[in-house]
Amino acid sequence: MPYYFIICRSLTYAQRTAAALERAGISAQIFRSPKSLAGEGCSYVVKIAQKHLTKGLQVLHQAGLDPKRVFVFNSDGRYQEVAF
Amino acid sequence: MIYLDSAATTLQKPPKVARACAYAVGNLASPGRGGHRAAMGAGQVVFQCRQQAASLFSMENPEQVVFTLNATHGLNIAIKSLVKPGDRVLISGYEHNAVTRVLYAIPNLTVKIASSPLFDQKRMLEAVERNLTEGVDAVVCTHVSNVFGYVLPIEDIAKACQRHQVPLIVDASQSAGCIPIDAGALSAAFVAMPGHKGLYGPQGTGLLLCGQEAVPLLQGGTGSNSKDQTMPDFLPDRLEAGTLNVTGIAGLLEGLRFVAQKGVSTIRNHEEALVRRMGRAFEGMPKVKAFWNGGQPGTQAGVLSFQVEGWDCEELAQKLGAMGFALRAGLHCAPLAHQTVGTLEEGTVRASVSAFNTPQEINRFVDSVRRVVARG
Repeated sequence: MPYYFIICRSLTYAQRTAAALERAGISAQIFRSPKSLAGEGCSYVVKIAQKHLTKGLQVLHQAGLDPKRVFVFNSDGRYQEVAF
Repeated sequence: MIYLDSAATTLQKPPKVARACAYAVGNLASPGRGGHRAAMGAGQVVFQCRQQAASLFSMENPEQVVFTLNATHGLNIAIKSLVKPGDRVLISGYEHNAVTRVLYAIPNLTVKIASSPLFDQKRMLEAVERNLTEGVDAVVCTHVSNVFGYVLPIEDIAKACQRHQVPLIVDASQSAGCIPIDAGALSAAFVAMPGHKGLYGPQGTGLLLCGQEAVPLLQGGTGSNSKDQTMPDFLPDRLEAGTLNVTGIAGLLEGLRFVAQKGVSTIRNHEEALVRRMGRAFEGMPKVKAFWNGGQPGTQAGVLSFQVEGWDCEELAQKLGAMGFALRAGLHCAPLAHQTVGTLEEGTVRASVSAFNTPQEINRFVDSVRRVVARG
């Protein structure tokens, strides 16, 4: 099932992001960024289900936590950046 | 032992503090350094502690809560971020060496001192206003004197700094957890505090609340932006190089929860009442000079200094120590405060209380002082 990775610059930022999503009833898990997505090296991602992306982005915008980059994990096993 | 040295470190802690430290030692690893359970568990505890502190001090964003080793560490970051060689800095006449020594190390500084008699908040504010009008680049001010418990009018000082657009650094070493602090309303550039005093965490913990950009004191790994050889430009990573004191932070979290649950105002009222009890008893005692506010509310926290005629302060503290009371004598690392009050040569004996002290303990202490004085 496709899911989304919200890229976060630090663990604390990821924790704030996940906490805001969880408060809105959206299940969110924190992981280390896959190396291919890590950009400047060592970052964290917040994983959410595909069905929650639109609401999740609204929640994060309201919390002042707009993500800089979001990737979708496709069924072919590759990451693709999402334009939003 | 009756412990009356909480201005140095609170010794009696909520039992959950030690339990949390013990759990952390065995179960929590390095936050931000791995994705395994022990690392993520550590990250969770650290984040909860940031959130709890942000909530207690009315900070909007937990990323502005930076972990330090102690208040001195935080003050070093704050002062070195704001104060440059050649600047004019205003401090109160009640500052600790954690402020004055840091300033002394910066070359070509003009340090102005705003002073007032003990417990006279109005005159302190006037002195600050006068110096701000003459022009300064930064203000560094303690909230509560660690020697005399004098509560400085920090909210009014902060407003004056805002009017003059001068950044303010607050040393909350003696007030954090003991007096309500609304860091958001203060709009201070930085508020530094220890975790091991009124927040009931273990030694080796401290917090720096950041209201503006800071310059790192240390460089190193942060678990973020690793390809970049400069420190991250975002908090808290910018100021937190190296592995955090997760064990201490786990204990601090429980200390913060204790303070929040009990209520800072409740703790303040309790400590003020204990000091009032002590001050009143000393007032009627011959040969004893107590530095207390006479019961005037809101001007003295849980700290009271005193002297006994004919007694060296260190010998008196030792004598009372042998009778079962933990006190601190001397200059308390704050020679400027002693100079301001006129006790620099002889020093004082300091009794400082916490949420765990009781009126009965104060009665026993005062009775013991009375006996010592009577024996001469």
